[in-house]
Amino acid sequence: MTETQIKTKNRTKTKLVLDVLIFIAFLIAMEPRSSGIPIHEWLAVSILAVLVVHLLLSWDWIVQTTRRFLGKLNTQTRLNYLLNWSLFIDVMLLMLSGLVISEVVMPTLGIGLPRNFAWRGLHEFSANLFIVLLGLHTALHWSWVVDTFKRYVFQPIGHVFSTNTKKDISA
Amino acid sequence: MKTLGRIMIILAAFAFVMGLTYTVVNAASSFVGATAFERGEEGFQRPEGVQPQVPNGERPEFSGGEGREFRGDRGGGFRWILGAVRNMGIIAVIVAAVVWLKNFLRKRNQETEQVSG
Repeated sequence: MTETQIKTKNRTKTKLVLDVLIFIAFLIAMEPRSSGIPIHEWLAVSILAVLVVHLLLSWDWIVQTTRRFLGKLNTQTRLNYLLNWSLFIDVMLLMLSGLVISEVVMPTLGIGLPRNFAWRGLHEFSANLFIVLLGLHTALHWSWVVDTFKRYVFQPIGHVFSTNTKKDISA
Repeated sequence: MKTLGRIMIILAAFAFVMGLTYTVVNAASSFVGATAFERGEEGFQRPEGVQPQVPNGERPEFSGGEGREFRGDRGGGFRWILGAVRNMGIIAVIVAAVVWLKNFLRKRNQETEQVSG
C-alpha cells in the first residue's frame, strides 16, 4: 500500500468516526427538553468546533468544486454543492439564534445579547430545516456511507468472527 | 500553517454568515417592533376589553411549578429516545426517497440509452 493510499484510508476512517459522532451529538442536542439546556447548548458549541474539522477534511472537494462550479460539472455534484452551502448557512443560523437565546453558554461567558421573538422562531425554523437538509445530505452521500461502513465496520467485525470460527474448528 | 489558514477561512465564513444574519434579523425586528412588543412598550396596546392573563411585571405560573418550563426534567430518557427515533425516522424517510429516486432515474436513463443505441 502506498503512502497516499494509507493517508486516504486514515482520512476516510477519521471522517467516518467524526460523522458518526456529529450525528449522535445532533440526536442528543435536538432534544433539549430531555437532555437539559446546559447539555443542549454546550454540545451545540462543541458540534460547531467538530464541524470545522469536518470541513477541513473535505477541503479539497470544496476547493475543486468551487473552481469548477461555473464550468463543466455533473448535476449531482452541483446539487450536492448547493445543498452543502444551504446546510452551512442553516447551521450558522441555528448556532447564531441559539447563542442569542442562550441561557447557559453566553451568560457563562459574560456576554449579553438583545433578544426578541424573532430569534426563538428562527432557531426553531432552522432546527426543523436542519433535519430535512441533513436527510438530503446523507442521501446524496449514501453510497459513501454504505461503502465506508462495509469496509471499516462490518468487514473487520466479520473478519474477527470468521477467524474465531476457524480457530474453533482447528482446535 | 496551511491548516491554520484554512481554519481562518472557515471561521471567517462563519463570522460573515452570522454577522449578516444578526444584522438582518435585528434590523427586521426593529422594523416590525418585535422587541418593543416583548418588552410591553408603547405601540403595542392591549385591545379593549381583553384582560391581562398575568399581572404586569410578573412571570406566568406553569402547571408543573417553578423552573419546569424548559429544564430537561420531563420524561427523561424515554422522551429522548422518542425524539431521537422521530428525527432518525424523518432522515431515514428522506434518504430512502432520494436513493429510490436516484436509482429510478439511473435505470430509466440506462433504458433510454439502450433503446436509442
